Amino acid sequence: MRCRGRSTIPEIVESEIIMTSMLVQDLHKTYKGALEPSLKGLSFSFPERSIVGLLGPNGAGKTTTISILCGLVKADAGQVQLFDLTQNAANREAIKQLIGVVPQQIALFPHLTAIENLEYFGNLYGLKGKPLRNLIDQYLQEFGLEKAGNKQIRHFSGGMKRRTNIIASILHHPKLLILDEPTAGVDVQSRTMILQFLRNYNQQGVSIVYTSHLLDEAQTICSEVVIIDEGRAVVQGGTEELIQRHAECRNLEDVFLHYTGHALRD
Amino acid sequence: MLLLRDRTGLTLLFVMPVVLITVMALIEDAPFRDYQELKFDILTVDNDQGRLGKYIREGLGQTGQFRVVDTVNGNTVTEQQARAMVNEGHYQICIIIPKGATGAIVSNANKIVNDISRRMGMPDVLPVSNRKDSLHVTVYFDPASKKAFKSAIHQALDNFLTQVETDLLLERIKKQLKKKDVPENDSMHIELKAVGLKEQLTGPSQELDVISNSVQHNVPAWSIFAMFFIVIPIAGNMIREREDGSLLRMKLIPGSYLAILTGKMLFFVAVCVVQFYLMMQVGIYLLPLLGLPRLMLGQSFLAAFIVATGIGLAATSYGILVGTVFKTPNQALNFGAISIVILSAIGGIWIPLEIMPSHMQFIGHLSPLSWGLDAINNIYLRNVGVSHIWVDMGKLVMFAAVLLCIAAAIEKRRLS
Repeated sequence: MRCRGRSTIPEIVESEIIMTSMLVQDLHKTYKGALEPSLKGLSFSFPERSIVGLLGPNGAGKTTTISILCGLVKADAGQVQLFDLTQNAANREAIKQLIGVVPQQIALFPHLTAIENLEYFGNLYGLKGKPLRNLIDQYLQEFGLEKAGNKQIRHFSGGMKRRTNIIASILHHPKLLILDEPTAGVDVQSRTMILQFLRNYNQQGVSIVYTSHLLDEAQTICSEVVIIDEGRAVVQGGTEELIQRHAECRNLEDVFLHYTGHALRD
Repeated sequence: MLLLRDRTGLTLLFVMPVVLITVMALIEDAPFRDYQELKFDILTVDNDQGRLGKYIREGLGQTGQFRVVDTVNGNTVTEQQARAMVNEGHYQICIIIPKGATGAIVSNANKIVNDISRRMGMPDVLPVSNRKDSLHVTVYFDPASKKAFKSAIHQALDNFLTQVETDLLLERIKKQLKKKDVPENDSMHIELKAVGLKEQLTGPSQELDVISNSVQHNVPAWSIFAMFFIVIPIAGNMIREREDGSLLRMKLIPGSYLAILTGKMLFFVAVCVVQFYLMMQVGIYLLPLLGLPRLMLGQSFLAAFIVATGIGLAATSYGILVGTVFKTPNQALNFGAISIVILSAIGGIWIPLEIMPSHMQFIGHLSPLSWGLDAINNIYLRNVGVSHIWVDMGKLVMFAAVLLCIAAAIEKRRLS
């Protein structure tokens, strides 16, 4: 049985707004020249300090959603609220300071060393001098890169690049960290380290939005999941709660297939 | 830092232009030289052995353009041999002076003087030949000779003939007049040239005598070409930043992305200006070591700096547009390189616009490279200052502004 539609989306009540780190209401977006809308009334919310998995098949609207959350793309209709700020032109700069985004690509300069990259992006965030250097050293150590700080990124392994990519996004201490497939193409050791870091980081009070096609990974790390398909949220809830909701579902992948079906999305 | 570590980029921006300018200045040196600077061997077959042959040989020798050759391997050349050697391309030109040419000229001068004398009531005593056929100095050209070269030779020979004819005529007139009560001490000096020619510079300075030679054209021209090649690293960089997410990261950082973009633009403009001055150093110091003329920089260094900045701005903006329009570095590289080659070809970089057909000159003046080159030529060749560069500068700045607006519109459309 497929349980699709808005009925599974929890009703957003006023009292929740204060406690949520993210509230997305009825987002619509159609790109110029596109035949189909990318978002068709997407709504979801989640509380502060949670790790939320934003899951969906290819073309479901995840990237568009993240772009709107970050303020890079303007929604045709709907509203986004991050903490106590509504995403609009007036709040865009303040929201940028609140969020950190780890893109799926390695958004670093390959001919610069890890330290040079981190200093460059730190400087753009207004961080300078010894405090920035200390912060970089601390994160390099935390991510097991203390000996590689002076190596150029192009000489890094895939896992090292991914870890540096994350550090570049958290130098400014964001309250909300958005990660787009942060463990794509890395070995088990790097993946374990990244996931452990995210858990620790979340315990420091940072909300995390995480997209991935690796649903076993999402199941281990996410306290909540939002499954998106065809521009709408088809279900939102606690990870364990959703698994238990359906007797035939043994894990998050079953839940995912339950709500999105087996049809290929090319 | 990034540029310093990018050896390929550094080579493309600084080393290749130096090589390009040096090679182009060397290979275009000969075509750019005036005929005065070049020496051609001219075969002469003097069947006359009179004054005309002497005048032509001496006159050609005095121009400095020609070396008169009348013997090959120690033997006097015959007309037939000379024709064959020209036809085979050993010589570009051969002049055959016919037997009796001087006599014909003297006879003609005598005839004129006798005629005048008769009308003045004096006896017509100078001898006149009864020869009816007309004589010609024959010129054979290498079939591959250029039209301009042939024309120059024709003009020179015509001048010598006229000169000989005039000299002989004057000589005969003086001779005849001396018979009529003229004191012995009267030299009867006749000055034929009442009005002469004087060459003068048109620019504000009369001190510099700069001519458009290979170095003077090629160094600024190919420097501008090389500056525009910054399109490739800029466009490639922009596309890579878009692909690898660095652009996204920078857009997510608080503060205006425009400020970051402006900073990058200023950096690339500065690279262009450094490139320009490096190329000028090549023209001043390196090329003279290779036997080429030294580059003359005119008198307004400020004007040259402003123009170099304007060219850098136009080139950088073009790079930003190419980087915005195209989706892959390969597309941008191919389009960028080919478009610059086309813009440079029509813009007078390869050959000066002045020698192109008029409709091509019109199209050429639409190329931003031609605006930059015009401005630099005005400064270097015509010695103008800051006040004379604003038209070309205005075009370069407008070009940059329009391209940036188009790039911004495309980027905005892409995000929507």
